[in-house]
Amino acid sequence: MNKENMIQKALTDTVLTRRSFLKWSAALGGTAALAGGMNLGLKTVEAAAQTAAETDGKWVTVACWHNCGGRCLLKAHVVDGVVTRVKSDDTHPDSPNFPVQRACVRGRSQRMQVFGADRLKYPMKRKNWAPGGGKKELRGKDEWVRISWDEALDIFATETKRILDEHGNKSIYATSYGDAFGALYYDPISRIFSVLGGNVGAWGTVSWGAWPAPSIHMMGGFPSTNDRLDLQNSKLIVLWGANPAWSRQGNTTSFYMEAKRAGARIICVDPMYSATAKTLADEWIPCRPGTDTALLLAIAYHMIENNLQDQTFLDTYAVGFDRDHMPEGADPKENFKDYVLGKYDGTPKTPEWASEICGTHPSVIRSLSQQMATTKPAAFISSYAPARTNRGEQYAQAFFTVGWMTGNVGIPGGVVTWDPLPGGPPLVKLGPRGTSYKDNPVFPSKYLFPFPDPADETWTGLNWSEQWDAILNGEYTAGVRGKQPIDIRMIYHGHSAMLNQSPSLNKGIEAHRKVEFVVSASQFLTTNSKYADLVFPVTTYWERVGDLISANRESIFWWQQASQPLFEAKSDLEISLALAEKMGIDIEMIPFEQVIFNQVAGAEVIKPDGSGFEKLVTITADDIKEWGVEGEPQKGRISLKEFQEKGVYQVERKPGDRFTHIQLKAFRDDPVANPVGTPSGKLQIHSANLAGHIAAFGWDKIAPIAKYEPPVEGYEGTLDGEYPLQLWTPHYLRRSHSVFDNVTWLREAFPQEVWMNPIDAEARGIEQGDTIKITTKHGTALRHVKVDAGIMPGTIATGEGAWADRDDDTGIDMAGATNSLCGPVPTGQGVQGWNTTNAQVEKWTGKPIGADYKQPQRIIFGEEA
Amino acid sequence: MAKQKAFYFDASACIGCKACQIACKDKHDLPLGVRWRRVFEYGGGSWVEQNGVKVPSSLFSSYLSTACQHCESPVCRDVCPVQAITKREDGIVILDSEKCIGCRYCEWACPYSAPQFNEETKAMTKCHFCYDLQAQGLNPACVDACVMRCLDYGELDELRAKYGDLNEIEPLPTNEITNPALVITPHKHSQKSGEGTGRILNLEEEV
Ligand code: SF4
Ligand code: SF4
Repeated sequence: MNKENMIQKALTDTVLTRRSFLKWSAALGGTAALAGGMNLGLKTVEAAAQTAAETDGKWVTVACWHNCGGRCLLKAHVVDGVVTRVKSDDTHPDSPNFPVQRACVRGRSQRMQVFGADRLKYPMKRKNWAPGGGKKELRGKDEWVRISWDEALDIFATETKRILDEHGNKSIYATSYGDAFGALYYDPISRIFSVLGGNVGAWGTVSWGAWPAPSIHMMGGFPSTNDRLDLQNSKLIVLWGANPAWSRQGNTTSFYMEAKRAGARIICVDPMYSATAKTLADEWIPCRPGTDTALLLAIAYHMIENNLQDQTFLDTYAVGFDRDHMPEGADPKENFKDYVLGKYDGTPKTPEWASEICGTHPSVIRSLSQQMATTKPAAFISSYAPARTNRGEQYAQAFFTVGWMTGNVGIPGGVVTWDPLPGGPPLVKLGPRGTSYKDNPVFPSKYLFPFPDPADETWTGLNWSEQWDAILNGEYTAGVRGKQPIDIRMIYHGHSAMLNQSPSLNKGIEAHRKVEFVVSASQFLTTNSKYADLVFPVTTYWERVGDLISANRESIFWWQQASQPLFEAKSDLEISLALAEKMGIDIEMIPFEQVIFNQVAGAEVIKPDGSGFEKLVTITADDIKEWGVEGEPQKGRISLKEFQEKGVYQVERKPGDRFTHIQLKAFRDDPVANPVGTPSGKLQIHSANLAGHIAAFGWDKIAPIAKYEPPVEGYEGTLDGEYPLQLWTPHYLRRSHSVFDNVTWLREAFPQEVWMNPIDAEARGIEQGDTIKITTKHGTALRHVKVDAGIMPGTIATGEGAWADRDDDTGIDMAGATNSLCGPVPTGQGVQGWNTTNAQVEKWTGKPIGADYKQPQRIIFGEEA
Repeated sequence: MAKQKAFYFDASACIGCKACQIACKDKHDLPLGVRWRRVFEYGGGSWVEQNGVKVPSSLFSSYLSTACQHCESPVCRDVCPVQAITKREDGIVILDSEKCIGCRYCEWACPYSAPQFNEETKAMTKCHFCYDLQAQGLNPACVDACVMRCLDYGELDELRAKYGDLNEIEPLPTNEITNPALVITPHKHSQKSGEGTGRILNLEEEV
């Protein structure tokens, strides 16, 4: 063996047992198991791509459409309808101030997703399905039967009508978002139910965690984070639980790098020495998941003890900090300062008190507090993740409060925010789509965000953390109405990944096996579709006529079609129209070309002097004729053809330009003229409305000020021994939530491992690369372990979104889907507390699991069929 | 000095995201198991108790994105029994898979494990610096993919003038064997090759 070869050397240097060494030798010896179709894409497409001459094709701007936290420009090289390569934005020279909209690793893999061999090719039904459900217990393990579109539409129409007639609209549960979040999240198929009288809706705080209600009640809404260029004014940036390198891909992390280069000190508070922390942080401060509130209270304690808080700011701009500045009607004893000092509860929230809970050393807490209080201006930026915890509202309350104590509000370089994505009002925007929307009368779309009004007695919707229990037990929590009966007979999944992506997959599977009818529309045999009776194959955006999207405040994109629909897949819009026809109902739809045209014609860009907007696109009478749409010629900055060709319009920026956005600047400049939207018009450290709002949901109660109370399955839950570890579930670069999990390139690049500290591994006799069994109250999974000192002792983590692969006999999930492990614990405003789960880990003594990318793809029908 | 094309890598800005690796796979249609560009995570350190609290002790970690170094003295070329590997006038080291007999000697000899075996074609393959794109005046695929803008390329002497002459950080081997055409800006945690106290943390992903 060549000792100088870095791979060989690493292998020999690594402390390997003989068994694992042999395994490595085998891995080095080649990948024979993969022979044939080595990228595991559609063979017909791969073959065509191989023979296609690079020079004959053309580059078109295509969609990267995922709920990924980014939005980047992707171009596909198309030869005879086949995509041979992708690239990203090259429409202008790249520079820090005027960056190209560069795509991430997932966008770069998009070709392998669209043309994956596992694309669903035909409509299909479960072999043992019959009207009424047939052998329902076989859902998830039955054989699939290819059927015609006509039969598929017919089954849907007949069963849906039967269920509606027999059980009414409140027996149908549709898990997609409808139209509330714009085109990308719009599921036209679920509109069928709306026209027929509605369906029970699904709701949850999902990614946002517990932020929305505190944000509304404490600061009056959701003001966006300071502009990316303004970050360069910050002397200190604290990224709290934020790992944009994984959760906000595309350019975002580079914006923080520019801030660092401009002199900002960066501190990351996180249970993991994350990719962001490794690259950006001057200091990493570990904190146990679900205990951030305790850490923040101790930071406040140190500030108060040393009189470091910005008292003038608090007195002028906030209420609730001390007994002399309470909102009207509030009990003066319920002020934040006295709670921190322990005046009434006898517990001063000292760094020593917090350290026992959050695991951060008291001296580190003091130093962090000192830096936060004395470095100005500073940006305090949380991600959603620390609030994706049971009782997450208390974290949001504490983060706002402690951030505001420093006075870093509404000033250049200063911000207290829960979104790591730099923001600001759009500088270029699309015209309205011109489509109408038939709302769901049973669960109106306004309740998808920011969630149902608990005092409203008219809605029927199931919370993500309660839905499966509701279906199994016939009861759901309906805000002030308390527990209400529910009788779900049909589940429809379109445009969602509900079964895989909501807490308790095991209960979810049980619920799916209970109802009479399960329909799913998808591009692959996702977890939703695996447990369905009837599956519609859906096209990707690359197979559709194109669309436009706002990428960020500086850019809009125009995507084109790259390929014809694959096999018999149809867009969900086409499916909805075919279903409407079958069912004899009318759903209004304007031609999609018109939808595109409307957005182009209505697009506006900010005037150079910032005094307003002007039309972006010049449109001629010929353009209108060519498009066959209705419209008027107009003058703008660029021609329609140029915009279409480039696929992007981006406003050029410079530091200090007039477009710089600073959150709450108007409020800071004149709080009387520009109050925030709270009852006091000020920042509400004390909010009785927030406490009342949370209580009305009917799950648990919080105080009107930030207090630390142990959450269900928080750190305190580990202390009694059975589940001594804390599991948390970060966003992972292999996927955008569950999307991309089947892409072999990404599986290879990002194994679905469980990070574990060497101290915890050693205590369990576990070594790097071992297969481990993770057990929680809610389920069991097997995974490889990554023994890494970069994760805090006592905590383990694995990326959310792997496609569950539950072995029905053992109940073990072989894929490590986090919802096989995370429980349904509805708290607060209906939060999914994915980052608070108690777990135990042991070494797996059965057969070790193999590499993810060598697992068989879920191919139902071959290309020859 | 002879012409020599070289890569530049900024370890202080790399987030280990592998956009470069996948852009390369996409450009060259590389099969599973073949990665012309690898992204390593190298680190070490441990946790100690301080007044009853576990705290990280000299924890360090950073990323390294690396491909073929198009070395000034390419041992891969020297060991190939059928002269399938050649060094072009611009310094780019290319491998002719058609000529390759699959003996895998270059893979063994190269200290960077840059040449890699394609199980399907039974031939070696290797990063060729996207010389086809360069001929069109375009950048190599990986360089244009980096979301952190930490990859660059150019003439070795010009890169050295701009960024210095560091070309060995862990887990790369020391430079004396092959004179790699590589210029690195180190991360604050980078350690000199041969003097490292850590290990590759993501070895499984990259072999
Ligand atoms: S960040 Fe999102 S939009 Fe950008 S390339 Fe990645 S997946 Fe696509
Ligand atoms: S694309 Fe850039 S940041 Fe990402 S791994 Fe490669 S070199 Fe590092």
